[in-house]
Amino acid sequence: MLNQFITAFLIGLLGFTSVFLPVQPAQAAGCMLTAIVWEGYTDSSFTKEFEEQTGCTVKATYAGSSDEMFAKFRTGGGRTYDMISASGDITERLYKAGLVRAIDPDKLQNYESVFAPFQNGKWNTFDGRPYGVTFAWGPNVLVYNSNQVKSAPTSWDVLFDPAYSGKISIPDNPMTIADVALWLGKSEPYNLTDADLAEVKDKLLQLRPNIRKFWTTAGELANLFQSGEVVLAHAWPLTYTQLSEAGFPIDSVSPRGKLTGWTDSWMISKNSRNADTAYQWIDFTLSGNGQKGIMDVTGYSGATELGATAIGKERAHELFMDDLSLHSQIKMWQSVKNYDKWVQLWNEIRS
Amino acid sequence: MANVNTSLSRFETKRRHRPQVGLYATLLPPLIWMTLLYFVPIALLISYSIWRLEEFDIVKEFSLTNFQMIVSNVAYRTVILRTVLTALAVTTIDILIALPIGYFIGCYSGRYRTLLTLLVILPLWSSYLVRVFAWKIILGYNGVLNTALISIGIFQQPSQIFLYNQFSTTLTFVHIWLPFMILPVITAFERLPKTLLEASADLNAPPLTTFRRIILPLVIPGILAGSINVFSLTMGDFITPSLVGSPSGIMLGNVISSQFGVAYNWPLGASFALVVMLIVFSGLAIALKQGALDSL
Repeated sequence: MLNQFITAFLIGLLGFTSVFLPVQPAQAAGCMLTAIVWEGYTDSSFTKEFEEQTGCTVKATYAGSSDEMFAKFRTGGGRTYDMISASGDITERLYKAGLVRAIDPDKLQNYESVFAPFQNGKWNTFDGRPYGVTFAWGPNVLVYNSNQVKSAPTSWDVLFDPAYSGKISIPDNPMTIADVALWLGKSEPYNLTDADLAEVKDKLLQLRPNIRKFWTTAGELANLFQSGEVVLAHAWPLTYTQLSEAGFPIDSVSPRGKLTGWTDSWMISKNSRNADTAYQWIDFTLSGNGQKGIMDVTGYSGATELGATAIGKERAHELFMDDLSLHSQIKMWQSVKNYDKWVQLWNEIRS
Repeated sequence: MANVNTSLSRFETKRRHRPQVGLYATLLPPLIWMTLLYFVPIALLISYSIWRLEEFDIVKEFSLTNFQMIVSNVAYRTVILRTVLTALAVTTIDILIALPIGYFIGCYSGRYRTLLTLLVILPLWSSYLVRVFAWKIILGYNGVLNTALISIGIFQQPSQIFLYNQFSTTLTFVHIWLPFMILPVITAFERLPKTLLEASADLNAPPLTTFRRIILPLVIPGILAGSINVFSLTMGDFITPSLVGSPSGIMLGNVISSQFGVAYNWPLGASFALVVMLIVFSGLAIALKQGALDSL
């Protein structure tokens, strides 16, 4: 009887273990750095060089919004991802949630090359210690199909133009509310009262009939342009870079004084098991080749002297890396206190 | 004699005992499986739904704020209503398409039956995403449909009316879930006794009466089984509305995915997930009462 019991149990157990078996090979992999990043920050064109130098593979997940990044980074107690390319709106949240560790600049050879104003940026320095390393920044811009839109737009008002009704796209991201607040002339777009939000909602409802599609990834937006669905979009410079490289008639403008944007920092998870590799990766992205790689792929501005040298004086001027004059003009993404209300407003616009 | 009796009864208990232990031992792994991957997650979901989010942190105290929000917010009510109506519309259209196809395959296809059934299942072998994306290519501004309509001279320039609205969402749903409706309907028609149809004809019943009084009542369990599939699949989907749907036409699945992803409001997302489960279960209860599972 005992024999039968054991046989039956073993058969059952065998069936059960087969479920867990496929998991093992993934764990057996050697040196691997996992990261959650914005699209383009781990593009294979320059990541390959890092992988060859260190023998470590970089496994990145793209996120569509800061909140998605925060949520994914946090699940699994911060062990799922070693690194995050955090924008200014979640750096403080990550620090307060105790998910990231303080950065030791001595471990980074290229740290001295980071632009001086960025070294103690208030977006990633807490309690007098750096918790992140700034490596890229940029504005959200107006991207348009230069064949369909004849005269270069000068203001965001063009999105409301009836001529382009059903031909525009804006990000499916509640942070877009800050842009609308700027269009309405609010001076503090991240600190909005209920009355301000009601105004923003009216403005967005006015815009909604013009919107063909809310875009969620840069890849999707590029596809919308290429298939002729949209001709104007509120987008990241990445879309402009991607499409102009593909030979598509595309152009972009950044209307002065009405710009939101982001400053991105690498942050390392407190529970990361590959912290040394993470430092190596950060060091690489601060180097000339790393910075150039990121800028070539995304069209964003870099954050180090080495990067400015690597892309040449002219291009550095175009990207405002010589005087950082654009950086101070952009209303950089920051934490929003009543963010749940923003999300709710966004859902109302989408329903 | 008494000795023989005891040993006999001991033998008896042993015989009865043996297969039971074996049975439980084999049941144990699937039971653990079900508990870990089904019951525990549902319990977690329910507990999340009664917690709440404050300042980006989940407060683990009992509260019904999420459900209050769902009921009181006009936007969320609109989404629930839109989702249920879409699911019902998709189910109805699928029934209308599946009935004639199922009737033909089940009753008249003869030796081609296997081939035809295979053709019905064939689309399921390609990825779900590819099938949704195909509609984007067909209905798009420079898509197949617009190009065709221009080339035969019906349209002067491409039209935007085909894609990114409620029409494209419904059409895509109808197409991708159709096999799940047709298969149980075929089974139901196969089981239909031909003798009853002949008897009905012998008694001079016109075709419509035969359909209404003989065929329909007998295939209804099959239709209901298909309806459960289509209805619940539509209720929970978020990919189709986000790929081909209207900018102002999100469904419950999108709200749930945005609460779990973008908004990091897991409690509210869990409450919405429970609402979906509630709606699907009530649909299921109605269908079960009519004997839907007989044809699955």
